[in-house]
Amino acid sequence: MYEGIRSPAIHTPRSVSEFISTASHYPHAVIWAGGTYIMGRPNYYPSDGLTDIIYLGEIADLKKITRNDRFIEIGSMVTASQLLNAGKLVLSDVLLDTLSKVGSKIVRKQITIGGALCTPDIRLVLPGSLAILDAIVEVKQIQGNKTINRWIPVSRLYDKDGQLLLTGMNLITRVRIGLETGNFQRFMMVDSPVHDPKRCVIFAFQCTKGQSNMSKAHFCFTFPTAGFHISRELETQLSGQPLPVPPQRINRLSFALTSEIHKMHPQVTDLQLERCRRMFEAVFHELNTEVLEE
Amino acid sequence: MKIECTIDGKHLSLSVNSNKPLSLILMEEAGNQSLNSRCRGNNCGNCIVLLNGEAVLSCMIPAFRLRGADIKTFDSFQKTRACHDIERAYAATGSKPCPNCYAAKTLIIESILQGLERPDDSQPFPLPARGRVQNLTEELDPENIIQELELNRCRCMDSAELLQIVNIAAGYRRRRRVRRN
Ligand SMILES: Cc1cc2nc3c(=O)[nH]c(=O)nc-3n(C[C@H](O)[C@H](O)[C@H](O)COP(=O)(O)OP(=O)(O)OC[C@H]3O[C@@H](n4cnc5c(N)ncnc54)[C@H](O)[C@@H]3O)c2cc1C
Ligand code: FES
Ligand code: FES
Repeated sequence: MYEGIRSPAIHTPRSVSEFISTASHYPHAVIWAGGTYIMGRPNYYPSDGLTDIIYLGEIADLKKITRNDRFIEIGSMVTASQLLNAGKLVLSDVLLDTLSKVGSKIVRKQITIGGALCTPDIRLVLPGSLAILDAIVEVKQIQGNKTINRWIPVSRLYDKDGQLLLTGMNLITRVRIGLETGNFQRFMMVDSPVHDPKRCVIFAFQCTKGQSNMSKAHFCFTFPTAGFHISRELETQLSGQPLPVPPQRINRLSFALTSEIHKMHPQVTDLQLERCRRMFEAVFHELNTEVLEE
Repeated sequence: MKIECTIDGKHLSLSVNSNKPLSLILMEEAGNQSLNSRCRGNNCGNCIVLLNGEAVLSCMIPAFRLRGADIKTFDSFQKTRACHDIERAYAATGSKPCPNCYAAKTLIIESILQGLERPDDSQPFPLPARGRVQNLTEELDPENIIQELELNRCRCMDSAELLQIVNIAAGYRRRRRVRRN
């Protein structure tokens, strides 16, 4: 059925430079990584508009993971499953937790890191965790015959509503994550971002827990279709916070957080706000417990 | 585009749109009997097949990735000993999936059993250790098993029943392997 519709041309570059030359010839082509987002669109097939596909699966350089003593670099075509397996000994807990919550093993084998960062209109589990780890991505922007190379922090890839800010023909080639991370990290998720995007809340948190106070707090709340929230102001307020954090202070912080989210992301539902408050407080109670146990 | 592949043991040469999902190819070109799912992105999880031996959602695999592929659907899987291990476990527990998701759930269980037998081989790059020592594979504990089975969105069986089936089927599989060796 539908065989009358023009079949999209499939381009399979074997290197990044071949990709660039193909992409400059076909600026409206769709970049194809694992294909799970693309094929999951309700109007995916038959599709009139899809004329050219650039499949990244033959570019060996995009499938590499390398590391030195300061950072690890992950090619954008590494799958969630490969990263979870290869990274067990090098990735931080928050990232391992995040990866293990993506779908199921069957889909993790297909989902790529680049694809997980570039879904245009829904924010899934990975961006928040990479953002709090201060990960940066290499982006090659192809404009006609010109290619602009930039490194962009993951936290700047999206607007406040979580929409991808890259427009035009952009290729993410690799993600770089520093190896120095906080000694207290948590990843929490309620409901599935794919099945219940309007109920789901995703929370990633890390800080350095010192003898008597905390520093370098970073956290991100993701509401898949309503917001990508990083609060620099609250992060600054948390820096130097004495430990354990008194309950009244946790209350005040979580109240400030939810008011801020409500104001900035009107699409976030009351249920999501309530969940977000609970998750934020739970992390501080866990932090306090760890401090008191030591 | 022309693709040559093997579906349920039959070598086929097909002329299809390059982006056509494997699920539709199976239903429309290959006369498949066990697949009947067109959820259009609702992630029903009813379209599982084995692609080169690994479970995949067939609606997520485009024709252009099928050149030379070996595809096994429930049509041929149900005639194998591997399937028999799982169907014996259904019989032993007295519970089995409903007709809607029978094929998909059975193939997911098969992929879980394979995972238990052959720890993940998708690790392409051995990396030097950093601090914590952990097992290098995605182990399948009960939580992971349930996570796998939840890929199929049918909810007629509860987690306890499914875990029991996987455990019993794994026992049959182990015993059969031991006998063979
Ligand atoms: C059943 C199921 C369950 C899932 N559950 C979860 C879950 O629980 N949590 C979760 O986070 N995700 C989940 N996902 C995955 C998620 O929905 C996306 O489908 C996935 O992240 C996309 O990755 P991909 O490699 O398949 O990308 P693709 O579908 O190939 O691409 C996604 C988008 O990114 C663009 N793109 C891809 N790679 C690049 C690149 N290198 N540079 C620039 N642009 C690029 C594409 O053009 C496209 O717009 C699930 C998917 C399925 C099918
Ligand atoms: S047809 Fe529903 S997930 Fe494939
Ligand atoms: S329809 Fe399959 S278990 Fe319910």
